[in-house]
Amino acid sequence: MSSRVRRIAIALVLVALWETLYRAGLLSPLIFGSPSLVYAAALKDGGTFLAALRVTASEMLAAMAIAWLGGVVVGVLIGAAPLPGLIFAPVLSGVIALPLIVLYPVLIAWLGIGVVSKIAYGAAAGFFPVALAALIGIRSIDARYAEMARAIGATPLQIIVQVKVRLALPAIVSGLKVGTSLVIISVIQSEMLSSTDGLGFWISYHRALFNTGQVYLGIILVLLTAAVAHMGLSALEKKFGAARVLEQAAG
Amino acid sequence: MSAGAPAPDVVVARDVTKSFATAAGAFLALDRVSLTVPDGKFVSIVGPSGCGKSTLLQIVGGLAAATSGEVLVDGVRIDEPRPDKIGIVFQEPLLLPWKSARENVEFPLTLRGEPTGARQARAQELLALVGLADFADSLPHQLSGGMRQRVAIARGLVRRPRMLLMDEPFAALDEQTRTRMWGELLQIWSASRATVLFVTHSLIEAVYLADEVLVMAARPGRIIERIEVDLPRPRTLDMLGSPALGEMRNRIWHLIAEPQP
Repeated sequence: MSSRVRRIAIALVLVALWETLYRAGLLSPLIFGSPSLVYAAALKDGGTFLAALRVTASEMLAAMAIAWLGGVVVGVLIGAAPLPGLIFAPVLSGVIALPLIVLYPVLIAWLGIGVVSKIAYGAAAGFFPVALAALIGIRSIDARYAEMARAIGATPLQIIVQVKVRLALPAIVSGLKVGTSLVIISVIQSEMLSSTDGLGFWISYHRALFNTGQVYLGIILVLLTAAVAHMGLSALEKKFGAARVLEQAAG
Repeated sequence: MSAGAPAPDVVVARDVTKSFATAAGAFLALDRVSLTVPDGKFVSIVGPSGCGKSTLLQIVGGLAAATSGEVLVDGVRIDEPRPDKIGIVFQEPLLLPWKSARENVEFPLTLRGEPTGARQARAQELLALVGLADFADSLPHQLSGGMRQRVAIARGLVRRPRMLLMDEPFAALDEQTRTRMWGELLQIWSASRATVLFVTHSLIEAVYLADEVLVMAARPGRIIERIEVDLPRPRTLDMLGSPALGEMRNRIWHLIAEPQP
């Protein structure tokens, strides 16, 4: 049995167990829901949830684009700048430790409770780990590569773009992975706090009404979104990540 | 050039001095070092560790600035890297791991935006020169240490420089590979007609390869002796055991081991 088949089998068994325990009256439907309740919720509110998924996914994509691009550019520039750049590393890692959620009310005051504040909050959360990873990645490159590049006539910009960024890719990709997780978490989080649409909003809404089936439907859609993002990033990591480089060094 | 006329000097270094500020005061890494390398010659620099031989090479290559003094290569004052005049080979091959052997050799041309066809042809030519024509599409991790260093030599020569600077290029290789590389390098050298300045800490290597050995001493770094190597060319591995080579090696050893005034 391949590992994929095994994984699907385990998931099916768990779902069956969940339903059985619910039917046996061992699980409170209010707290744990059940597969049949989720199914009923999907039949009833599936359209709303799919529309919400579209809103949430586009917020996440926009926030990711900003966090990825901004984080890589800022991290690489600071990393490639002469020495004082190291000052920024503690600042960046300090910001990561801050509970950004305390800033969310301020963001709402500035940007409203619509889509823009979700994108801004998600991008802010994702930006710092991406920037820090890029900075540290660029800083950790063997300095002799830059010297070699200088010797063969590379301009400072060529050294950064064609040598350093490429050598730092494994570190940058692992930063993207952390950053993307934070974007996903933060967008859902901000939707649950105050918003007008999106998966987080509907999860919150139905939880208030004790519609446990709908709540679980929303949770499942969020998990699926995270799984898709994870798969995409794993593919990226397979191509450029640390494991690949190690494998090359060993080979 | 008429027979008997002295070959013009490709490298001229005049009173090159390098000092570093340290906690204990100024450290004199190089003290008024002067040297000349005639066209087409192979010159080795040996010396104990800390004698500044690598620093000297960096200054000649335009990678580091001298505190005072000047370096001319092919008549041009060197104050920045000049890949058109000088190819540099480092102790490590420093190949870019995602590029094939050919792409690594091409890279100096790619940086200049040369057309693909021309640079591929040139890279292939160089790979043939270093005996790696069949490995053009291999990635560095698929090549042995010696092959990687040959790719690095090809990359150093791709812009047809007048001279090749080599900074202990074989130090990281095992003895058998290193010995084989000596023969390869001499062959590449005679085919490319580049002038070579070769830094090493191996006395045998310095003598075996070169027309001339410059012996350096430390504290402050300076050249204390210039030894002409009168072994005939082509050099053969049998010469490694010859009395003439052994004698030169011992002479250099005494120069390095005994305290200099």
